[in-house]
Amino acid sequence: MHTGHYISGAGHLGLIAWILLGGLFTPEPEPFEMTEVSVISGADFDAMVAPQQSPQSATEVAQPAVPQIETAEPEVESTPDDVIEQPAPVQAEAPPEDALPEVEQEVPTEAPVEELPPELVEPVGETAVLVPEIAPEAAPRPVERVAPEPVAQPDPEATPDPVEQEAVAPDAEGEAVEQETQEATAPEEAVSEIVTEATAAPAASARPPGRRPAAPVRQAATEVETTAPSGANENASTPVNNDDVLAALTAAQETVAAPSGPPLSAGEKDSLRVAVSQCWNIGSLSSEALGTTVVIAVSMNRNATPVVDSIRMLSASGGSDAAARRVFDSARRAIIRCGSSGYKLPQEKFSQWQNIEMTFDPRKMGFR
Amino acid sequence: MKHLILSICLSLGLFLNAQAQAQEPLRIIIDEAIIEPLPFAAPSFQPESAAAGQMASDLARVVAADLTGTGLFREIPSSAFISTVSDFNAPVQYADWKAINAQALITGAVDVQGNNLNVKFRLYDVFSGAEMGSGLQFSGTVDGWRRMAHKVSDAVYARITGEGPYFDSRVVYVSETGPKDDRKKRLAIMDYDGANVQYLTDSGSIVLAPRFSPTGDRVLYTGYESGFPRIYVLDIGSVSRRVLESAEGTMSFAPRFSPSGQTVVFSLSQGGNTDIYSMDVNSGQSTRLTNTPAIETAPSYSPDGSRIVFESDRSGTQQLYIMPAGGGEAQRISFGEGRYGTPVWSPRGDLVAFTKQNKGRFHIGVMRLDGSQERLLTASFLDEGPTWAPNGRVIMFARETQGAGGSSTLYSVDISGRNLRPVNTPSGGSDPSWSPLQK
Repeated sequence: MHTGHYISGAGHLGLIAWILLGGLFTPEPEPFEMTEVSVISGADFDAMVAPQQSPQSATEVAQPAVPQIETAEPEVESTPDDVIEQPAPVQAEAPPEDALPEVEQEVPTEAPVEELPPELVEPVGETAVLVPEIAPEAAPRPVERVAPEPVAQPDPEATPDPVEQEAVAPDAEGEAVEQETQEATAPEEAVSEIVTEATAAPAASARPPGRRPAAPVRQAATEVETTAPSGANENASTPVNNDDVLAALTAAQETVAAPSGPPLSAGEKDSLRVAVSQCWNIGSLSSEALGTTVVIAVSMNRNATPVVDSIRMLSASGGSDAAARRVFDSARRAIIRCGSSGYKLPQEKFSQWQNIEMTFDPRKMGFR
Repeated sequence: MKHLILSICLSLGLFLNAQAQAQEPLRIIIDEAIIEPLPFAAPSFQPESAAAGQMASDLARVVAADLTGTGLFREIPSSAFISTVSDFNAPVQYADWKAINAQALITGAVDVQGNNLNVKFRLYDVFSGAEMGSGLQFSGTVDGWRRMAHKVSDAVYARITGEGPYFDSRVVYVSETGPKDDRKKRLAIMDYDGANVQYLTDSGSIVLAPRFSPTGDRVLYTGYESGFPRIYVLDIGSVSRRVLESAEGTMSFAPRFSPSGQTVVFSLSQGGNTDIYSMDVNSGQSTRLTNTPAIETAPSYSPDGSRIVFESDRSGTQQLYIMPAGGGEAQRISFGEGRYGTPVWSPRGDLVAFTKQNKGRFHIGVMRLDGSQERLLTASFLDEGPTWAPNGRVIMFARETQGAGGSSTLYSVDISGRNLRPVNTPSGGSDPSWSPLQK
C-alpha cells in the first residue's frame, strides 16, 4: 500500500520537474530557406499574359441573305373522268318450274312370316349332357325379427329456445304490392359443347370435355353458417342467452369491418366461378377471340354486386387487340348480368373478395 | 427485455403479412362458358322523311335476318319490347332493354330524297350501358337498299363478334332445274342470302364449277358448248365471255383465279392423263405445274398466291396435297380414312375446306394446312363443292338428296359445325362460289 503511494509521489514529482525544467531540453528552431522575389509592374504583367489570350474577331461575318421563294402555285387542271357506262346485266327469264318427276316408291313386299313356334328336336339316343353342379341352397341365417333390446332414443336435435320469438304476422293494413306482369320471352338456348351434323363421323379434333361436377355449394354454405352470426334457426336449435347473442353480433360486426379475414374456401371460390361462367356467352365470339385469354379486374360492392365502372382489362394473350376486346366485352357482360342481384359471397369475408381478378380463358370451349 | 423486442417484431411481421393478404385480390379462372345466340333487339328504323316509312321497316328486317341467319344472334320479338325508340338521337333507356335481356340494341334512321337513300345506325351494349363504336351512315340509291341493310349488318356483326364482314357479298352458282336425267344447268348470281337472282347463261349447254375473280367482276367456269370441256371467262357487268385457248385434243376444267387475278390455274387432260397447269390470263401462256401419271385436279391458291392445294390419287387413293405455286415437290396433307377432294384454301389462310367420302357418306370438313385438327362439319348422302365466305367463318356447299327425284340444294354452315341451313334459292343449285366483299 505504501509502496504505491511512494511510486505515485515519485511520478508526480517527476512530472512537475519536467514541466519546470523542460525548456532546458528544447532544441533550437531550424533555419528558414529564403527565396528572392522580384516585383514587376501591372503593364509588364499584361504584356506577359497577352500572347496566351485568344484573339478577338475583328470582323463580323456577313450572314447570307435569305433567298426569296416564289410562292406561285402551279396551275393544275382537273377534269373529271369520263363516265363509263356499265351495261346493265341482262335479267334472264325466270326458269320454268320443274315438273315434279314421278317418283316410284318401291314398296318392299312383306315377307311371309310364319308365327309358328320352332319345333324342338329331341335328342336321339343317349346323349351326354353336362349338367352344371348346383350348389345346395344355403340355409337362411336366422335373423331376429325383433331386437331383443329396445334402441335408445336419439338425442333431440333441437331444444326449446328459452328466448321466445314473436310470431310474424302479415300486416293487415299494408297495401298489396302489385307485381308487374312481364311478357314471357323465349327460353334461352344454351349448350355446353358444339355438336355438328358430322358427330357420328370420325373427327380428329377433340371436342371440349363436359362440365365439371357441380360446385360444392352445400359445403360452402355450411362453412358460411359456421362463421356467420347466429340466425333464427340456430336460435331455435341451440340454447343461448341475450348476452351471448349481443356479444356474437358485436364480434361479427367487428369482423366484417376489419380489412382482413379468413380466406374464401375452395367451395366459395368455385361457387363464384360457376356463377360467372353461367353468364359468359361465347357463342358470338370470333374464332380468333376463342383463342384469346384476358385477365379482368373488378371491384365489388358490399352487397356482392360488381362496381361496373371498375371492370377493366389487365392483360390479354393469344390474340390480337381486337380479339381481346371482344372477349373482354363478353366477359364484362357476364360479370354485370349475373352479378346484378349480387353474387353468393360470404359477407364476413368481404375484404377477401372486395377486389377480384378473373381470368377468362375460352380456349377449352372454342373450336380450333 | 429481449422477449419484449422479439414479441414486437413478431407482431409487426404478422400485421404486415395480414395487410398484404388483405390487399391481394381474389383470383379465379373462368374456363367454362355457355354457347348460345346473343339476344339483340332491332326496333324499326326511324323514317326521317315521308317516303322512308316502309323502307325503314324493311331495312331493320333485313338487318335482323342477316344477324339471326348466322346462328350467333337471336332476335327478341318486338312484342316483348317495354319501350320503343322514337328518336334516333334520344338517350337509350337501358333498363327497359335489360329487363328483356337484350344484350345488344340496334337503332337506325332512314332518309329518302328522290332516288337517294341515307341510312344511319347506332349499336349499344345494353348491359355495359354504352355505345359500341360510333354511329355510321351509308348513302346510296333506293334500288340498292338491300345492300345498305347488309352494310349495316356487316358493321354490327364485325363489332360484336370480331369477325370480318360477309353479308354484302354475292354467290355465283349453277342453277339446276328438271329431273336428274334431264337436268338443265345455267350460271346464276345472287346475293349471299339468295335474293336478287340473275342468270348469266342459258341452259343450252352444261356449265360447271364457276369461280369468282378476286375483284368479283369476272367469273371463270367450265362450259361444254363445243362438246368437250373448255374454260370460259365471263364479265359479270357486260355478261360477255371469252374462251381461254387450249390445245387441240385436250380438255381443260376446274379453273380458279390466283389472288392477283392475272393467272388461272386449272386441270388439263391429255392422252388420258390429267395434270395441273397455270395460264397467264393476258398472254395465254401456260405452264405445267405437275407431271405425274396420276389424276391431279381441283387446284386452289393460298391467299398470298405462293402455294396451291390440290387433289391427287398419286398415292393410290384420292388425297390432298400442297405444292409451290410454280410447281415442284408436293406434300400430302390428308391422312384420314376415306377419300378427300375439292380442297379450297380459306381466305384467312389457316384452313383448307374439303369434301370427304368415307363409308358411303359425304362430308364437308376443314383441316389445318398440315392436315391436323381435321373437323367434319356435315354428313349426308352427297355433300360437295365447299366455298368460303369472304371472312373465312362460313362455308357454302351443295347437298344432293338421294333417289331418282333427288335434287341439289345450296347449304351454308358455320366452321364450328353449327348453324347448318339451306340457302333460299328459286331452284336447285350446285357448285357455289362466294364473291369477295363488294366495294
